[in-house]
Formats: sequence, structure tokens, C-alpha cells
Amino acid sequence: MARMKFLLDAKRCIECNGCVTACKNENNIPWGVNRRRVVTIDDGSPGERSISVACMHCSDAPCKAVCPVDCFYVTDDGVVLHDKDICIGCGYCFFACPFGAPQFPKDGAFGDRGKMDKCTFCAGGPEPDNSAAEYQKYGRNRLAEGKLPLCAEMCATKALIAGDGDTVADIYRERVAYRGAAGLSWGWGTAYGGRQRRARGVDNKTSSQD
Amino acid sequence: MQTIGHYRSMIGVMLLLLAMVMLVPLAPYALAYVQGGGGVANPGADLWRDVRQAIPGDSQVQGVDAGTLISARGEQWRQYRMEKLAPYSAAIFAGVIGLFVLYFLIRGRIRIMAGRSGRFIRRYTVADRWIHWFMAAVFLILMLTGLVLLYGRWVLIPWLGPEGFSATAAFCKWAHNLSGLLFILAVVLMFFAYLREARFKFKVDSVWFLRAGGYLGGKHPSSGKINAGQKAWFWAVVIGGALLSVSGLALDFPAFVQSRELLQDAHLVHTLTAVFVIAFFFVHIYLGAIGMEGSLEAMTRGTVDANWAREQHDLWYEEVKDQVEDAPPDAGAVSAADVASPRTDA
Repeated sequence: MARMKFLLDAKRCIECNGCVTACKNENNIPWGVNRRRVVTIDDGSPGERSISVACMHCSDAPCKAVCPVDCFYVTDDGVVLHDKDICIGCGYCFFACPFGAPQFPKDGAFGDRGKMDKCTFCAGGPEPDNSAAEYQKYGRNRLAEGKLPLCAEMCATKALIAGDGDTVADIYRERVAYRGAAGLSWGWGTAYGGRQRRARGVDNKTSSQD
Repeated sequence: MQTIGHYRSMIGVMLLLLAMVMLVPLAPYALAYVQGGGGVANPGADLWRDVRQAIPGDSQVQGVDAGTLISARGEQWRQYRMEKLAPYSAAIFAGVIGLFVLYFLIRGRIRIMAGRSGRFIRRYTVADRWIHWFMAAVFLILMLTGLVLLYGRWVLIPWLGPEGFSATAAFCKWAHNLSGLLFILAVVLMFFAYLREARFKFKVDSVWFLRAGGYLGGKHPSSGKINAGQKAWFWAVVIGGALLSVSGLALDFPAFVQSRELLQDAHLVHTLTAVFVIAFFFVHIYLGAIGMEGSLEAMTRGTVDANWAREQHDLWYEEVKDQVEDAPPDAGAVSAADVASPRTDA
């Protein structure tokens, strides 16, 4: 069984925000909610890098651990999903998530949180695959159609890769070997490296791992 | 004399040369340090350092903390809530309740030693009691709904199922957020209503604390209208209430307080204070309603038995003993408090 992961190659990302647009369009996401965003560090300075980030579908997901109503579940593909019928919009997943993935539509007075929305790895939710209810709540279920997340599919420079972790790592390792530079992927230590690393804020370059 | 001077200057010069020889190779490092990294910039290392330290970048997405890539504090908050707050608070509550069960089994109900005199003294006005029971009602709602949100996942989901508990938790969140606003009002009212009586008087109150209020043996230490333990409870409610109110407002209105760091801090303050105040609340319930004969009616009927006052609040009794009445003074006029809590004849 595959273990789905995102990998962002910071040497390739050009901050075109194509992934953000693709995600919003494919999943029909309301205003104010962004499942994916591109962050540019040192914008305009030497060493500027851009990184596209969404839910990384962590191995030991903090959102799932802290949820007071236990609305998260992990699919056989390692995708972390949640049930909006159970979610109460408390915001605890947002407190705990290292990547800032959980989003909340403003739902009432004083910015009261609605039901949480986040990247589904284009895998929908608990409703029947590709049903209207699933699309309305979670967006497209591309995985059920045998396709990968549209953000990665759309990426013009293939900086963002999505798919089985082993395959993704192989592609990346090959790139690093050819270009002869240190890896500039990111986030895997935090997402898949377990809790000790996450607690220390340690991240790693994946070139030496997996 | 001259030779010694020569030797001195020779040794001095040699030491100086030695120091220079040792320090010169460090010059480029010093220069690089002054220039802030110098010419050996490592973009990769700089990038990961920034990411690790959660130095925000720029993003086209306008969202809360959108520029931050990795926030390591989330994991610390998770560990606090799941591995410290939940188990330790449960242990503290169970411990306090367990101690009181044990105390009750050993000591039983503490009776009015001289028995009831059948004569009464006014203790709390209708306003005092209204404020007390208003606070009590709001506090109970907040405590129960808060504990449901903390422990419900383990305690209630097996019982109510995921859908049932989701509805319960959604209601609890809503009730908690709304009654939190009433709680602020209750804290303010309580502060002004009881402040005059609740100021510590060192002489009397230190003795009361040293003798643990007489609960562990010995007779009741002297006390005024409010004993030192009750004063401590008042200040726990007022100071704890202020902390709970400020942190609660931050958590209640995500439109105004949005950063994760602030929300995590607010949650930390809110929960630590709540655990302390709830544990103290158990003490209050036991002493006020269960463990002591004749105490509860002070808050329900507003009057106490004269003998109770003489034994438990001797200094106050001395002040008011000429106001002892033969029948409960406003037997017909206390319905307001009695609505909030049914009359309990101890």
C-alpha cells in the first residue's frame, strides 16, 4: 500500500502560485480559506526561496491527537482526513499543526470558527467516493479516480511532487544527484520524522534520508 | 635594578608577540563575525534556520500566520494538553475528592458542638446570596462544559458515539463561550460584594492558616465574619476569575486574537487557572454544603444559628450577638435565593 506524501523542492519553486489556484479551483474552496499557500523566504534578497505548503499528512498527526471530538482518520494511503459532520470548529487542530494547515471559514459573529477545512490530498472525505455530498464538503476525490492531487499535477516546474513516499523520494534523490547540490526539500522531518523532531523544531534535508 | 627592568620588558614583549601570533589567525573569523557571516553564506543553511525559527516569509495568501512555515510550538502545546493537562488534572481532581471522602469517613459531619440554639443571626443579604448563586450557576456550567471538552473524547465518545458526542461537544462549546461572558459579570459583582469582608487581617488569619482552620484537630481558630480559608477562596475566585476572563476572551473571539502563539498561551493560562480553581471549588463545596452542619443555610436562607456563629466565627459573633433573633428574620422574603437553590435544612 502506498504512503502518500508531498515533497517540495525549494530549488525549483518559482512562486507562481499555480498550486494554490489549482487547489482552490479543483476543490471549490470558499473565500477566506486556503488549503495551500506559497511562502517566500528572504524575498528579493540573495538566497530567496519559495516553498509551497499545505497539510503534509503527518505520520503521527498532531491535529488527530488533540481533536476533542476525534473527527480525524487516516486512510490506507496514509492520508489524514477529517469528518466535517463531527468537527465542532474549536480550533485545537490549528493550535497544534506545525504547518498551519487547518483553516476555518468565518461562521458567525466575531469570527466564530466554522467547521475546519484543510487539504485532503484530493482524497475527499468519509462520504461515498465522488458523491455530491463529498464534493460539496471536501472537494474533488481525485485519488478515487486514480489521479494525484491537482496542485502537484499542475506544478509547472515540478517543484511540488505528490505520490507514494518511496517514489517521490526516488525522484528527488535522482534530481539531487544530477544537480550535485545539497537538497532543498523541506518539511519531511517535521511531518514524517516523529514527535521528538517536531518538538525540537528540527527539520531536515531529505537528501540524506529515506 | 636595571637588569631586572630589562628582563621585565623582554618578557613583556615576548608575551605580546606570542599573543599576537596566536590571535592573528583568528582575525578573518572576527571580521566575518563583524560582517555577519561574511562571504561564506550558505543559502541552504540560512533557509532552514529561518524555517526552523519560524521567521515568517511572505505569502500571497492572506491568512493567519500564513508566512510561517513550521511552528514547533504546536507540538509543545499538544504535549502539554494531551500528556500533562488531561492526565494530571484528572489525578488532581480525583485526589482532592478522594481526600474529602476519606476525611468524611474519618471525621464525619462536623456538628454544631453546642447543638442548635434555635436563634438566628442574619449573615448574608439577599443581594449577597443572589450574586453567590449567580456565580455558582455560571461556574457550574463553565466547569462541566469545559471538562466535557477536555475529557469527553475518552469518557463520553464510548458512551454517546461520535455523532452524539459531537452534538454534545458543539453545545458545550457554545454554552461555554456564552456563559463565559456572564462569568466576567459574576466575578466583578462578587469582587465588590465581598471585598470588604475578604481583606486579610494578618493576626487572625495567620493563626487560622497555621492551625489549618481547626479541620485537622483542635478547636476552631478565631475568625471574623469570613474566615481565612474563605478569604483565600474569594481571592482565588477573583484573581483566578480575572485570569480566566482575560484568557477566555482571547479564546472566545478568534476575530481579534488570531496568532497561534497567543492562543496557545491563552489556553495554557486558562486551563492551569481552571484546574486550580476547580480543585479549590471542591474544597468549597465540601466545607460549605457537606462537611459542616449549619453552614449551607447561610447562603440559602441568609441566616445562621447563633451557636454556629459563636463556634465558627467567634469574633463576628461578638460584634453581632445583640442582633440575635428568635425566628429566621426574613423567612418570607428570601424566596429569591431559595429559587436558585432549594432550601436545605441541615
